[in-house]
Amino acid sequence: MTLAPNAQLPDRDHSPDPAPGTPPRCARTTPPWWFMAPALLLFAFVVLIPSGRGLYYAFTDWDGLDPDFSFIGLDNFAEMTRDTDAVQAIWHTLLIAVSITVVQNAVGLLLALGVNSAIKSRNLLRVLLFAPAVVTPIVTAYLWRNLLGPDGAVNSLFGAVGLDGWRQDWLGSPDLALWTIVGVIVWQYAGYSMVIFLAGLQSVPQEVHEAASLDGAGPVRRFWSVTRPLLAPAFTVNLMLSIIGGLKLFDQVYALTGGGPGHATDTISTLIYKDAFTLGEFGYSIALAVVLTIIVAVASTGQYALLARSERAAS
Amino acid sequence: MKTRMFTALVATTTAAALLAACSGGTKSASEGGGGSKTLTLASVDQGSVEDVVKAFEKANPGVKVRYTTSGADQYQQQIRTQLASGTAPDVMSVWPGNGNPAATHVLAKPGYLRDLSDQPWAAKMPPAIKSVAQYEGKTYNAIFGQNGIGAVYNDEAMKKAGLTPPDTWTKLLAFCRDAKAKGTPAFALGNQDNWVTQLVLYAMVATTVYGPDRDFDQKLQAGQATFAKSEWATALDKYLTMEKTGCFQKNPLGTNYEASQQLAATGKTLGIIQGNWVIALLKGKNPQASFTLKAVPATDTPSQTLIPAAAGAGYGVNAKAKNPELALKFVNFVMSPQGMPLFTKKQGSLPSLPDTGFKVDPSLTELSTFITSNRTVPFMDQLWPNAKVQQTMLSGLQEIFSGQSTPQGVLKDMDNDYKAGS
Repeated sequence: MTLAPNAQLPDRDHSPDPAPGTPPRCARTTPPWWFMAPALLLFAFVVLIPSGRGLYYAFTDWDGLDPDFSFIGLDNFAEMTRDTDAVQAIWHTLLIAVSITVVQNAVGLLLALGVNSAIKSRNLLRVLLFAPAVVTPIVTAYLWRNLLGPDGAVNSLFGAVGLDGWRQDWLGSPDLALWTIVGVIVWQYAGYSMVIFLAGLQSVPQEVHEAASLDGAGPVRRFWSVTRPLLAPAFTVNLMLSIIGGLKLFDQVYALTGGGPGHATDTISTLIYKDAFTLGEFGYSIALAVVLTIIVAVASTGQYALLARSERAAS
Repeated sequence: MKTRMFTALVATTTAAALLAACSGGTKSASEGGGGSKTLTLASVDQGSVEDVVKAFEKANPGVKVRYTTSGADQYQQQIRTQLASGTAPDVMSVWPGNGNPAATHVLAKPGYLRDLSDQPWAAKMPPAIKSVAQYEGKTYNAIFGQNGIGAVYNDEAMKKAGLTPPDTWTKLLAFCRDAKAKGTPAFALGNQDNWVTQLVLYAMVATTVYGPDRDFDQKLQAGQATFAKSEWATALDKYLTMEKTGCFQKNPLGTNYEASQQLAATGKTLGIIQGNWVIALLKGKNPQASFTLKAVPATDTPSQTLIPAAAGAGYGVNAKAKNPELALKFVNFVMSPQGMPLFTKKQGSLPSLPDTGFKVDPSLTELSTFITSNRTVPFMDQLWPNAKVQQTMLSGLQEIFSGQSTPQGVLKDMDNDYKAGS
């Protein structure tokens, strides 16, 4: 679910090629607005109306069953500030989102630069590195849950090569568990970021690099002054996808630790699930969901505005 | 054109799916009660109720049972709507005690369930079962099966280690030390799955809390007792003493339920403290091995030891049943020596009533003896007023094990949630 390829991409021109002048436009007629009606109706029924109704429940004490519930104003939101589990979960969510965004994209970029060079069997490497991204998150999470057990493959491997000090209780230690989750997600999606960067890299014209080399620019300088600005659109897409994915993270956390030990890895999403379906506090959990929506909206639009500006500056 | 066709297709499919989801499960109820020979039934015992229905129809020629089965979550949401709108079936699954939307207290309080106290089996129910089948002194729930928590030993591993199951607290700790010294920890503990964390604690609480005071729950309800200032603190302390003594394998918080079964099944630990349901799973992992369930001692007097044993979901009769005679007949069949073993055998549980002629699996002899001699107490959470108390306990136990919280802190949090009521 996380970082799904079907997430909405910003609707703008990704061509890194700064075309001089406007390309000739295809002549097209504007279709009548009511052509949208069927899709809009479906969207309204499936998304808009349920979301709107859901929003109302955030201000009630509904238990998910009883038709007799009362409007309690902002009580649920006030409760959130007193609920240490919720405050902790919001903090964990931000921590996970930021670290995934930074690490996943850094690793993805390095991998992209690596497989973009003339190394041997690079096509095979590209496939292998991208492979984890096509596996269902819940499957990889269960896989890692077993690999990371106290007697799992990871610890056994460290033991076998004499690195006994590296053996850890990866998912059972409250200090480590959150970072283990980040590690698993980076493992799964770094290849995904890599593919987007790779697409960007391959559209960087070779002539520009050659010209820069002739001017005496070394590899680092060439990356910084030529590749990086031309990769700006790829950065925008990647950062946006990973920050949204990181903020709404649920399945991997739930499968790997269930939010535990205790509440050490609870994110807003796992807390929403627990409050609603285990405790029957639907009103409160919907209020949490509203907060999550606001955080995602603010973070993604803010980030988009920022990156769009730097993209313009780069081009 | 193609896109619009596709949109239309998606729209119709979605609508159809939504309609199907809304109507699912209520079908039998709205159609039910046709003739005097038709009984309507809603059950959560998927996989076992089918056999019981077949046997019931065979024993009562001409009778037709219209039944639906569904998962617990879906069922709990459905049944209340049906009861409120008068479309509920004659007989329905009802959970013991309190704490979920289709539990005995919750449904009996507004008068949805028929009083079954006058049925022949009601008086024969052992007290531990009766306490969760009743509401205000009247029996509403025909509970047919029960499960217990104990130490499940791997017989081969025990033989190899040359150790025998301990029956006192002191011997238990010595057993743990000996087992550890031989390189095979005594018990596997899969505390990564938070529901597992409670089992050892329940085993301790049964003896330390309910041994001296069988009325602890009434005192808790009346506000005369608390978790923090009761023997619960002692029980929790014993749990941690076991951990410190090395009764469990290393890193229980990183070990999940599945991995803990693997340890006990293959003899990497001498056993596991779990519910009796784990035996079938252990045998699945190691078909050659044999396992024995024993009570977990918490004091030095073996006769004081109690086992936590919980009733499973049973059946209640709709107070407004369209066919009350047949409904009673069915419930009595479930509680009879013919019906009960059909359920318990398929579910791997023990019958709730004595003398059903059920041949107990040899690995469960001790549990069965404890049940017949009234040395069991219900799972502690079955009489708590809301689901939060248990959730607080479960995550609290993980926090204690990882040094994020203290026993007193967790027990106080449980008290606060308990006081918040239903």
